[in-house]
Amino acid sequence: MPQQTFVIDRYDPVEDRAYEQEFSVDYEAGETVLDCLNMIRWDQDGTLSLRMSCRHAICGSCAIKINGRSGLACQTQVPAAAERGNPIHIGPQGNQTVIKDLVVDTDKFMRQFDRAQTWLKPFEGQEPPAREYRQDKDDFDHWQHASTCIHCGACYSDCTVASVDPKFLGPAALAKAYRFVMDSRDSQRQERLEKLSRMEGGIWDCTRCFMCVEACPKDVLPMDAIMELRTEAIKAGVTNNHGSRHSKAFAGGVKKRGRLDEATLPILSAGVRPGAIPEMLGYTPGAIRLLKSRKLLVAARRHGASKEGKQQIKRIFDEVEDAKHHHDVNRAAFSTHYAEALEG
Amino acid sequence: MKYAFWPGCVARGAAPELYKSTLAVAEHIGIELVELDAAACTGAGIISDGDPFLADTLNARTLAMAEQMDLPLMDICSTCVGVHSLAQEKLGNADYRAQINQRLAPEGLSYEGSVEPRHLLWILLEDLEAGKLNHLITTPLTELNLGPFYGCYILRPERVLGFDKQPHRRRSLEAAIELVGATSVTYDGMTKCCGFPILTTNKKNSLTMAGTHLGEAQDKGADALVTPCPLCHLNLDAQQADAARVIKRKLDLPILHIPQLIGLAMGIEPEKLGLNRHVVNTKPLLEKAGI
Repeated sequence: MPQQTFVIDRYDPVEDRAYEQEFSVDYEAGETVLDCLNMIRWDQDGTLSLRMSCRHAICGSCAIKINGRSGLACQTQVPAAAERGNPIHIGPQGNQTVIKDLVVDTDKFMRQFDRAQTWLKPFEGQEPPAREYRQDKDDFDHWQHASTCIHCGACYSDCTVASVDPKFLGPAALAKAYRFVMDSRDSQRQERLEKLSRMEGGIWDCTRCFMCVEACPKDVLPMDAIMELRTEAIKAGVTNNHGSRHSKAFAGGVKKRGRLDEATLPILSAGVRPGAIPEMLGYTPGAIRLLKSRKLLVAARRHGASKEGKQQIKRIFDEVEDAKHHHDVNRAAFSTHYAEALEG
Repeated sequence: MKYAFWPGCVARGAAPELYKSTLAVAEHIGIELVELDAAACTGAGIISDGDPFLADTLNARTLAMAEQMDLPLMDICSTCVGVHSLAQEKLGNADYRAQINQRLAPEGLSYEGSVEPRHLLWILLEDLEAGKLNHLITTPLTELNLGPFYGCYILRPERVLGFDKQPHRRRSLEAAIELVGATSVTYDGMTKCCGFPILTTNKKNSLTMAGTHLGEAQDKGADALVTPCPLCHLNLDAQQADAARVIKRKLDLPILHIPQLIGLAMGIEPEKLGLNRHVVNTKPLLEKAGI
């Protein structure tokens, strides 16, 4: 019988004491990290606290940090976990307050769904159907990935923005919001896109770090959903915000020179609006430092693609802008995980 | 050894020392680089905010150029590797590729899907004959404690980065640091985001991220950080003083690019690696290393 050593981050709220504790467990092939934690509770230390219920990756209770990455204990095989670090380091979810040992207060995470208003808002005056509001398959396939969330919090736990900003809606709530933006039964598409673009901690605050994509045990691909929300918002004309100005200015620079235009990007992103000048002044110290190290001189020289390259790049921009046929590119559909899930 | 070389925009813009040190190290090792002068910016995930199809077309074009030259592709920017790899995943879909190839046809290009985007860091660890790199390390940096700073796109999402076939890529930076004889410093922030992508949209969040990781690495005894991403370099080096102000603590940590790390250990002069072009002074680091 193989043996595995675990180092567990423990917290005793009565004594307000945090400490690490090591346990060794004999386990059988096929047993998961959750099985081992249960054996520790039953045979070695009954005071170890953790959440669990279904044991087959559908209730979302047992999300914890396994070797620094969040995931479901019941879905993680012991050898796979040990490959990423041995002994296996177990800890509570991040970005939330620890109540005891591996149990965190999920209130902050759950409240983000309220802020994002992730429930169906049907069309007013519409006669309710005799049974359920039916959804057609093509529509559903487009956002199916975002509907499989089990609210385990693994994505929020590893989110790099949530770790510095409690106001950030976070991957799960934004993926759920995306699901309603894309749902043809919902009446609030435009309002939702405006709110999600404008509100504090909305779609433009994501860093695109992919932590949530890696942590999610159900292949929700939350970050892809956030990126699609950005595309949908721009498409819907919700462009009076820094994020979409930045995207437009970035693309404009590449269209002209074939390369990123560092010299004009901050000016165009700031836009013509109150607040633009203070924002620009905010960059001045950084710019002066760059100037001192002679870096800005190089940036100001504005390296571009070759002459022929520039012509071709401009041609592609013009052609693609003219042909609007492609605008339904569903990013998630191209992920190998999602494509396999759909086929399966 | 010959590669189709995509330097990316930042190495030809605000981080010229990355471009310079790449050329110096390639010459020293005997790697021939054919620069893709006509290629476009990857869009860094930002052009695709507005139009994913446009961004994928620009990237398919770059991959098609490497394919047409029948050369492996070398990126020197993590963000470029990440965006190229995500595009490569989507271009695995034949229908999508055909749509995009229509836009490449006027230029005589067509992408068949055969390119594997790779970073200089991976190439150094994967393509050189066993022992060749070790043999070239003439000035080991044994006195230095160096923190790896991976950032995001050279680690995530794993499904597009070839980690199943090349599991060593999970710790490629530690491998490079050990290769040059330095000690690798482990800290929490080393695989997190530097904050650069939101520097203009949410400066406070962005600099809190950079500052937190820098402070943590400094507290763990790092003399400098090493990063495979010039965008991380901008936030960690050029913005370091502002990051210190935001998190209200002192920071003084030079940030090295991969070819600078390797080049120093190969005995290449610091000026030829552009180490005099950093915002955070690298002189004390070089003194500690005995250079």
